Amino acid sequence: MAQIRGNIQQKELPSDVVNTPIRRRVADLDHAGGDTGAMQAFASLRDANVVLDGPVGCHVMPAVAVVNYTDSIPYLQNVTCSDLSETEVTLTGTLPALKEKVARASADGRQVFIVSTPVSELIGAAWTTEFEDVPGSALFFDSHSLDDDEWKSRDRALLFLWEHRDHFVAPAGAASAPARTRPSVNIVGPTYGNFNSYSDLAEIKRLVAGIGADVNLVYPFEAHAYETKQLADAGATIVMYKEYGSSLAREVGLPAFDAPIGLEPTTEFLRGLGRALGLQAEAEAFIRLEKRTTLAAWQDIWRSTHSDFFANAPVAVVAPPTYKDGLSYYLGEELGLPVSFSAYRTGPESAPNEDVRATLRDLSPSPMLVFGSINERMIIAQEQLPSRFLQCSFPGAVVRRATGTPFVGYAGAVWLLQCVCETLFDVLFANLPTSATPTKASVATREMLAEAPQIVAAQGKGKNSVVSWTDEAKSLSAVTLKRVPFFVRVSVSKKLRAEAEHLAAERGTDVTEDVVREVTARYAPRR
Amino acid sequence: MCPAFGAIRNLLRMEDSMPIVISSGDGCLYGHTFVAHFYVANRPIYSPGVSSEIWAKGSAFDELRSMVHEMAEKHQPSIIPICSLCVSDTVGLPFDLLPKQIGNTEIIYVPLPAYSVHTHARAKDIVVDSLVWRLPPQRKERSGVNLIGEIFPSDPIHIDEVLRRIGTHVNTHVPGPRWEDYVAMVDGSLNAPVHPFYSDSVRRMKQKQGLPFVEGAPVGIDGTYSWIVAIGEALGLDKARVEAVAREERERVKVAMADYPLSGLTFMVAGYEGHEFLLVRLLIEAGASVPFLSTAVSANPLARIEAAWLEEHGCRVLYGANFDEEISALGDRPYDCVIGTTPLCAHAKELGIPSIYYTNAIATRSMMLAEGAADVLALVTQTVQAKRRYERVAKFFAEDEGPLKRTYTSWAPTIDLTAQLIANDRV
Repeated sequence: MAQIRGNIQQKELPSDVVNTPIRRRVADLDHAGGDTGAMQAFASLRDANVVLDGPVGCHVMPAVAVVNYTDSIPYLQNVTCSDLSETEVTLTGTLPALKEKVARASADGRQVFIVSTPVSELIGAAWTTEFEDVPGSALFFDSHSLDDDEWKSRDRALLFLWEHRDHFVAPAGAASAPARTRPSVNIVGPTYGNFNSYSDLAEIKRLVAGIGADVNLVYPFEAHAYETKQLADAGATIVMYKEYGSSLAREVGLPAFDAPIGLEPTTEFLRGLGRALGLQAEAEAFIRLEKRTTLAAWQDIWRSTHSDFFANAPVAVVAPPTYKDGLSYYLGEELGLPVSFSAYRTGPESAPNEDVRATLRDLSPSPMLVFGSINERMIIAQEQLPSRFLQCSFPGAVVRRATGTPFVGYAGAVWLLQCVCETLFDVLFANLPTSATPTKASVATREMLAEAPQIVAAQGKGKNSVVSWTDEAKSLSAVTLKRVPFFVRVSVSKKLRAEAEHLAAERGTDVTEDVVREVTARYAPRR
Repeated sequence: MCPAFGAIRNLLRMEDSMPIVISSGDGCLYGHTFVAHFYVANRPIYSPGVSSEIWAKGSAFDELRSMVHEMAEKHQPSIIPICSLCVSDTVGLPFDLLPKQIGNTEIIYVPLPAYSVHTHARAKDIVVDSLVWRLPPQRKERSGVNLIGEIFPSDPIHIDEVLRRIGTHVNTHVPGPRWEDYVAMVDGSLNAPVHPFYSDSVRRMKQKQGLPFVEGAPVGIDGTYSWIVAIGEALGLDKARVEAVAREERERVKVAMADYPLSGLTFMVAGYEGHEFLLVRLLIEAGASVPFLSTAVSANPLARIEAAWLEEHGCRVLYGANFDEEISALGDRPYDCVIGTTPLCAHAKELGIPSIYYTNAIATRSMMLAEGAADVLALVTQTVQAKRRYERVAKFFAEDEGPLKRTYTSWAPTIDLTAQLIANDRV
């Protein structure tokens, strides 16, 4: 459950503790490295140009190819690279190429950030002595690209921005900080490449406005570098995601709040924020209003039969910490879906992909819903699991730019509840018998039911003889049925029995393990 | 995309290959994994973990070696390509110490330092070259043509049908889905790199195996004719028969293309795949004006004929182009259609110019012979016809302010979009 963090403890700081372990072997890597994270943080600023000190691939992979499928932006227009070639790598070092790019990137008065990449870190770049530390000059950020994961790097980058707040120069004619009459808050995060952040941000803004507060800065996503020092002007800081931003929030020194997932956490969040800003009455009034508006949908769904399925619909969640903890709490504690498995996608306690695969494969019953990334989606397909996939994490190409799909706040509680119900309806539909266009399997079942007695007789076992099941077949059948969603288990069980006995009768044998396996295979999900 | 991805993509598409990607770091590997799972295959991508400590100790190689053994013994793939990206190739892991073969599995080192590979096209050449290097000597008895180039699945069938009429056939086609497609190359009597960037592969096969090659591709009216004639000459086939078939096919292409006249239309084409040359040829033959072709590929001996043909037909070839230059060129004249990279198309769409992304839309289509020409030109025509829809959207987003401002920033290309729209009479 999300915590209200009046004072962020040192041990909670991502810069110090959050890092996905470097593994000996990797199958389907699920997090980016330090260069990508830093680039995504700096590029989010509206007046920043980012120069990645590396070959063309280090630029076009994160800032053109991947960002198009995480943020649906054709490419990040304020990112470029030093475009290293053999000459730089083997002879001159990166400095000459870098200087030229930095000069170009600085030409329009923007704040330039130089970010190291594995190649530049490997061959060593002598930039530090070259770029003078005069206000507004290009800043170099050592992204620890070989060792830090994207989250830690974002956190370090945001802290770096705060530490350099006096370095940034507002252009002539830039609007000065507005004089506020209402209390205001900072929203720290998101950056590019953060799953679902457009909706989450919209919902947090809605909640802030709801209790009568202003947003001071959405940092870095809607801010300029020169506004960094204005972070101190707010009354509180909301940290959108646990993965990064806490170090900045701590240094800014205001009361800090995590974005909430679930009903109770959201209520607590609003009350806490209200107290911190002196808006207790407004917060209470907003909570009352929300119950009659946004949350009326939640209450109606909750009162419907929809929620009766929940206790028999196991779920699994694999995500970075904010969503893993938030979804596990909301789905498990508040909605009552058994969380049969949850794992951190990144961070010090993250589960290697192969462990996630083994767990999902062996869970019995299989989770009906799996919240995860493309990796879990592939595991479901490759292991032929009956689970439905819902995306809650990168990697995995997705379009999440409509702002109506938050996971956080009251609107997030409604959206997630709706997703769960719709997916369960889909599971139900997929398991209903169909008669309009009979499938091969259902024809077989019907014909078999009609012909079974004759077939048994024809096999010479006598009209009244029953096809018997071996013990192995019985236990295999039980195991198989356990993997089937509970509320359709009865019809599947009938079908399995009928077809297995039909097949056995045809062959004049008992129902053996092989027979059960063959029948089950008819219903195995196609890849 | 990272140039090395051109190679990784092809190796992952091989059913009996299990590539190991030695990334430069997690940022690098994440990018390759992300796009591979989107574009290429629902299959795992394996790597030894890397960090500054691992690079300093050199322990990545030990892990790589044990991975190679385990994978070969457990899964017995036909090949395990070792894709070595920037850092591992710069550090210089002792790839020579890897076994060449474990059981029936070939272990093949594929050097892919992006800083020297530069383009997808070059990376694909490196793959074919690295794999072919492992082949046994060319057979004494040889026949047929080895097609080299990523073409549409039906293309080899149509090409084979044409080749049989002149007295030869398609021996094999690479990059193919199986190792045996490559192995079969030793049975062929001629290499036909139908995409003009497999220069290292075919040159090496000529030196090592004595296998000649023919430039060009059966694309467009002239191209189809000259390619068939060139194959006939290289194999010493019956001249009259070859000439008759070449003329017949030329006529078929002409007829197919007649349904899609593009005269009066101006196109911008920019690509990094390497077969942009062939597309521009088709567009020009259909009557379009293509003032220049911008390609990330560097000048390549195999592209000589294509480049010369394009120059003759009023199209300048700009090698090693980058997208800042391409985007700036959008303002040079009113274009009717842009076929290019993601960034270029994004800007063109903002200007109201119908646009499609080369890699997703064109690279997946056939271009060869009559069927291919019709297929590509149908797509292009459909795109051009959507002009009004593109303009309507561009106008809506440009009408309120001056130069369009995005919530994200812009520095490289500076185009005053409204001025452009007015200049081109679109608002």
